[in-house]
Amino acid sequence: MKGLKRIDNARLEVPKGYKEGMNTNGIIYVDEVLEKGLEEKSIEQVANVATLPGIVGSSLAMPDIHAGYGFSIGGVAAFDIRGGIISPGGVGYDINCGVRLLRTNLTLAEISGRLKELVDGMFRNVPTGVGSKGSLRLSQEDHRKVLIRGARWAVEHGYGSQEDLEHTESHGCLEGADPDVISKKAYERGRAQLGTLGSGNHFVEIQVVDEVYDETIANRLGLFKDQITVMIHTGSRGFGHQVCTDFIEIMQRAANKYGIRLPDRELACAPFDSREARDYFAAMSAAANYAWANRQIIMHWVKETFLKTLNISPKDAGISLVYDVAHNIAKVEEHIVNGKKMKLIVHRKGATRAFPPGHPELPDSYRDIGQPVIIPGDMGRASFVLIGTQKGMDEAFGSTCHGAGRVLSRHQAIKQAKGRAIWKEMEEQGIIVRAMGRGTLAEEMPEAYKDVSNVVEVVHNAGLSKKVAKLRPLGVIKG
Amino acid sequence: MGVPYEQVDIAGDVGLKIRGKTLVDLFKNAAKGLFDMTTDINRVMVNEDRQTTIEAENIEDLLIRWLNDLIFTFDSEGFIAKELDLDINQSAEKLTLRASLHGEIFDPERHESRLLIKAATYHKLSITRRDDLWEATVVFDI
Repeated sequence: MKGLKRIDNARLEVPKGYKEGMNTNGIIYVDEVLEKGLEEKSIEQVANVATLPGIVGSSLAMPDIHAGYGFSIGGVAAFDIRGGIISPGGVGYDINCGVRLLRTNLTLAEISGRLKELVDGMFRNVPTGVGSKGSLRLSQEDHRKVLIRGARWAVEHGYGSQEDLEHTESHGCLEGADPDVISKKAYERGRAQLGTLGSGNHFVEIQVVDEVYDETIANRLGLFKDQITVMIHTGSRGFGHQVCTDFIEIMQRAANKYGIRLPDRELACAPFDSREARDYFAAMSAAANYAWANRQIIMHWVKETFLKTLNISPKDAGISLVYDVAHNIAKVEEHIVNGKKMKLIVHRKGATRAFPPGHPELPDSYRDIGQPVIIPGDMGRASFVLIGTQKGMDEAFGSTCHGAGRVLSRHQAIKQAKGRAIWKEMEEQGIIVRAMGRGTLAEEMPEAYKDVSNVVEVVHNAGLSKKVAKLRPLGVIKG
Repeated sequence: MGVPYEQVDIAGDVGLKIRGKTLVDLFKNAAKGLFDMTTDINRVMVNEDRQTTIEAENIEDLLIRWLNDLIFTFDSEGFIAKELDLDINQSAEKLTLRASLHGEIFDPERHESRLLIKAATYHKLSITRRDDLWEATVVFDI
């Protein structure tokens, strides 16, 4: 690609002079195959982020990079909490969009005849799609508690167990969420959407462990070949979207006030120690907590569906949380930069935290093996479980990829799916799919996405995280 | 003039190209285009009204706020407008949009589910006026 320099098999450099005003270089994790699919817009976005004040290290992008709003999807950027900025564009509209993986004691042979019933049961029990409302209606008081306590609120109200919290990034709750900085509109959007999946690429998927790459770690995570797992992919729903919409406006005014030159309005930001930044961080934390509560509640309904449909005891089903990761979030973290300990505000937008073995933020049960990373793929091919590494910590602020990344636009996908029955094609491959929206299956068909295996191969070879297991889809519900 | 609105691919994102002979038409067509992305508006009935007022310092902000206000109304209470009356007032320091929306509450049993729209963005936003034609492009996060 013109103007870029290949560093090694896994990395491309966007040199500091690529664009005027860059404070640092950019590094994009792509091999020569994925390099061919790089869009110019996304490279420009990596360069734009490098112009923002207080950036530490390089402006990074993971191999599932594609153009986003302001920051690219797949972007990782860390800023000094002293002198650096925070930007809603570096988090995205779906704050704490993320993934959780549930393990079971069940094997493929045990459920293969019951798959349709399970998928239909989940489709009934988990509200999905446009205009869907959950069965929960939050009072103002409970809504505020959800924002402060996150997944803890859900567990305290009977949706899950203490162990689930230990196996959730940040224990499913960011401290510092402030319900008073949230707009009335965000409260109104969030009131009836807790416990709903949403639409687009969000899903609940029944899977089978197809391949194990690292027996020891898989074993520690409770995973084994031919085992049934369930993956849940959703975020903070309309609540988070409204928080982002509100703060893009506030931050545009703030950038102007603090004299920050923006190459793109969606990069709107403010110095981390400013009032606007404090308010955004407190609101973003509240939305992140809403998302964790959301995934916790949906997990509970998935669990109930399995027990009821298969008529088995919780003990026999053995459903528990392997881990829950956020892939659209900004967090204050400690990192060693050039031998010096620094407190940074790390933005991950379409990127996943992947902390190494020994990190103090990991739960006791995983501290010696590193953080599990859950990477969802498309509904026809595969998803992956990875584990964090020291190299990822040193090179990429403990970050890795988040998914496949689109290759066809939604319109292109609809065009290519015209005259085809995607649900039938999937069923012929042995995958049961249910979706609310008429166009959803066409937009979300496997060929609309990059093969996630190629993306995972790059982060594995680059050492940002290591492959543990591959999961194959069996049944999917979508919005 | 061409069609009042059309969905377009903008580097993989879902965008709306909107046209209007006047600024008021442009804003009306933007709303119709947005609801058309959400459901088939031909099947929406008129049995409820909503009023809204939006202020902004410039046309770009006014358009994004207007669309985000409609997204909010849909996402919080499911309201879809089929028809609307709209008026934009320009004073020295600000623009004020006042609208009356006529439509109904979305019912997944009766109405077609299309896209769930998270927000209207400033990404590649453009508004131009050439002779008697206003044209705007807006990208949505979905």
